[in-house]
Formats: sequence, C-alpha cells, structure tokens
Amino acid sequence: MIRMYCAYIFLLLNGLAFQSSATEAPELFEVLRNKVLSVHDYTAKVKMKINVNYMRIPQLAGVLYYKSPDKMKLERNGGLSILPKKNINLTLRNLIPSGDVLVIDAGADTIEGKTVRILKVVPTDDGAIVLTKIWVDEARMVAMRTETTTRDEGTVIMDLRYDKYVSFALPDNVTIHMDIKEYKLPKGVTMDYNDLPDAKNIKKVKNKKGTIQISYLNYEINKGISDSIFEKE
Amino acid sequence: MIPLLRIELYKIFRRPRTYISFGIVTAITLVIQLAMLSDGKSFIGFALQGVNEQFDIRGNILNGYLITYLILQSLLIHIPLLVALVAGDALAGEANAGTLRLMLTKPISRVQLVFVKFLGSFVYTVLLIVWLAIVALVLSLVLFGTGDMINLKSDAFVLLLQDDILWRYGLAFLFAVLAMTTIAALSIFLSAFTDNAIGPVISTMGIVVILTIMSNLELPLFNLIKPYLFTTHMIGWKGFFDDPVPYAAIMRSAGVLAMYTVGFLGITMLYFNKKDIKS
Repeated sequence: MIRMYCAYIFLLLNGLAFQSSATEAPELFEVLRNKVLSVHDYTAKVKMKINVNYMRIPQLAGVLYYKSPDKMKLERNGGLSILPKKNINLTLRNLIPSGDVLVIDAGADTIEGKTVRILKVVPTDDGAIVLTKIWVDEARMVAMRTETTTRDEGTVIMDLRYDKYVSFALPDNVTIHMDIKEYKLPKGVTMDYNDLPDAKNIKKVKNKKGTIQISYLNYEINKGISDSIFEKE
Repeated sequence: MIPLLRIELYKIFRRPRTYISFGIVTAITLVIQLAMLSDGKSFIGFALQGVNEQFDIRGNILNGYLITYLILQSLLIHIPLLVALVAGDALAGEANAGTLRLMLTKPISRVQLVFVKFLGSFVYTVLLIVWLAIVALVLSLVLFGTGDMINLKSDAFVLLLQDDILWRYGLAFLFAVLAMTTIAALSIFLSAFTDNAIGPVISTMGIVVILTIMSNLELPLFNLIKPYLFTTHMIGWKGFFDDPVPYAAIMRSAGVLAMYTVGFLGITMLYFNKKDIKS
C-alpha cells in the first residue's frame, strides 16, 4: 500500500511537470487500449528465441494461439512449448492495465528516430500490475515499448516493432526483457560432466535479465479459437 | 588370432552367468520405465521446479529420449560390475579351473592370450551396450513416444530438438563402449594377479566406487587429481547432450580412457609375460 501511495505522489509530481499535455494522456491511452482490446484472438506462425543465462534453447518455431484475456499456447508439432508464466505474458494486452487507471503524460522520447509520447499508467485496483510506462507512436497509434512493474514478478520491458498488422496494433517482432530468477540443482543429483570449458564460463555470468525474441510470420485475427486448444497437456 | 577369439567368445557365451548381465540390464531398465510410467510426472515436477517458477513448459516432457538418458545415468554406474563379471574372470577363471597352464602349452604367445582375452571382453562389452541401447532407447521410445529432450544440469537447462537427438545417442553409446572397455581392461589387469575370479570382480568395483566418489566430491584435494581419474571421464557421454557439444573436452576424455585402456593392457601383458604360471 505504501508503494502505491509513493507511486501516486511520484506520478502527481510528474503530472504537474507536464501539465500542458496531461489532459490528452488519458484519451490517448484509451484509444490505444481500445485498439489493443479489439483483438479477441489470433493464431500466428512464430519463431521464438529465448535468451536466458542458464537456458540453452535453440530457436523454436511453431504456432502461437492467443485468446483474450490471457489464454496462450505455443504448439510445436510434437515438440515442447516453453512460454513465460501467466503474468509475464507475451501479449501487450496483459501488460496494459485493463481496469480503472490513472494516466499521466511523462513527456516525449525518441525510438528509432521517431518521436513517441510516454504515458505512465497506474491501475487503481490491487491487480498484478503496479505501474506501466508506455511509449506511444501517436501517428500509428501503437505502443513501441512498455515497461511494466508487476507485484511479484519484477519488471517486464517489451519492445514492439510493427509492419503488416499495425492496424490491429499487433507487432511483427517483439523483444521481451524480463527479470530472471536464479537456477540451481544439486550436483549430486545431476552428476554433471564437469570437464566443459563453457560450463566454467557460465558460472561467471551473473546476468539476471533475460530476453525473449518473437517474430510473428503471419496472423489470423479474430477468427475464433476453441478453449479446448488451451487445455494443459 | 581369429580362431583364438572364436574359442574365447564360445567360452564366454557358453556360460549361463554371461546372460545374467543382459537380464540385469533388462530388469533395471524395465524397473525405471515402470517407475516413470506410474510416477514420472511428479519426478519431472520436482526436477523442473526451478524453471517452472517462471516458465510454463508443455508437451511430452517425459518422452523416450529423456527416459533413456535417465536409464543411462543410473545404469552406467552398475554396468562396470557386469563388465567385471566377465573380464575379471578372463585370466583368473582359467587359472582357477586349472586350464591356464594347459593353454600356454599351445603355440600361442602370452601376449596373444592376454590380447584375445581382452578382445573377448570387448565383444561382450559391445554386445551389452548394444542390448542396453535396444531395451533403453527403443523400448522407451515405444512406451513414452518421442519429443524434444530436456537435459537438466546443475547450472543449466538444455533443450534439444527431437530431430537433433538420435545421433547424440549413437555417439553416447559409442563413448559408453569406450568407457566400459577401460573397465574391462582394468578387470583383466587385476585378473592377471590372482587365481580366483571373485577378487578381480570385487576389486574392480571397489576401485570404480572409490574413484567415482572422488570424481564427484567437491574437495580441493580431489579437484587436483580429478582430471587424471578415469572415472571423471567415464561420464563424457553426457557431453553429447549439451549444446554446443564440447567436442574438445569429449575428445580429451576419450583420450584419457584410451590411455588407461592401453596402459592396463600393456602392464597386464608385461606382468603376465613374466608370471610363473602354476595352474
């Protein structure tokens, strides 16, 4: 609760600093949110690369199924699917608060040569998201970057690049930067083959940030997806 | 040399106890497969709890490739005993039966005899590993199906795509043959010093157990000698399930095992050549 009050005070001060454009910020956020919420489901062929210090995973190709608000499944033709857990989902929808929010204009920034507006969004409910910062490309009305602070799972930064599906605010490429928890298993259990030069290097890496890069090759949007697709295997 | 080897193989495979090893391999494999069929999900849940905190892994995790890996991990600790059962008997068994002196009255050199005994044990080892591959890999794939394979190391989570696994097993089984051949050479070496087969079998297991403990304990004293112990390199087959495959380290391990094999065999030949054969 104290964190929430601090966030309000911080945003209030920020709001005063950018009073001239603050009145537009809630409307801008509403337009963006409505555009994102207009996608109820999609099926997309994807290529995914997980870069986490303790994970050695090749590029995964498959079909990603999404159904609002939070169902997601990667199907890999008999192979294993690895997705981040629920609250750190791959969709913009999950990182933009859905209920009542306080929106503050936090100025402008430049991403890839384009000027973008920064919005700070604080949900008024006690949900998983504490604060979301959104970099909005006003011309195309899409989020180019989001920085979401969650209650339990650290901060998630999402960089989005658009091309063919910009009208649905669906990105062609997404890079998710997330906090990574430590991974360790007892050596007595795994009985590692220790004579690995690269294994020695891994121990020195203390990087607690990870990235997931997803390339969406095509989308089928709002065609309707059965809930049975998402049933856990 | 070929007729001698044929006789040696006839002697090995005529003995019922030779087939006990194949039965034990089958039994252990079936027990692990049965355990995984009944309670594999909780095992996987426990093993993956570190990863499951942040990632949702779905699909046939408990597939034939992973089960085979688990079987190899546990069986390659027991297989040295099965190899020693035959190789430890190679020279000591002949001495115990009183046939060694009789054999050496034939026009064959002692070096030839030791080498044929080694070749016989090698063929037996190869067949044991081939049998292991059949019951572990083939049966596991039939029972659990295929899929991507996860390899959990103490500090890494490795995912191997299903079309990138079979060749790794091929090389892993080849490496296992090399590792078990070293055990066979050790057993023959110990077998040359005694007239009773039980001694070399127990001694081989004793040496393997003690050195394996030293290879796995993280103590500064042991860390100094670990690279020189053959038991440290016997698990080199696991390297094929890493990404990228540490070929340099695996080749180094293979080299150490080959040197030990040649060393044991050379010393055996030297000693046996001068040994006073009394039975």
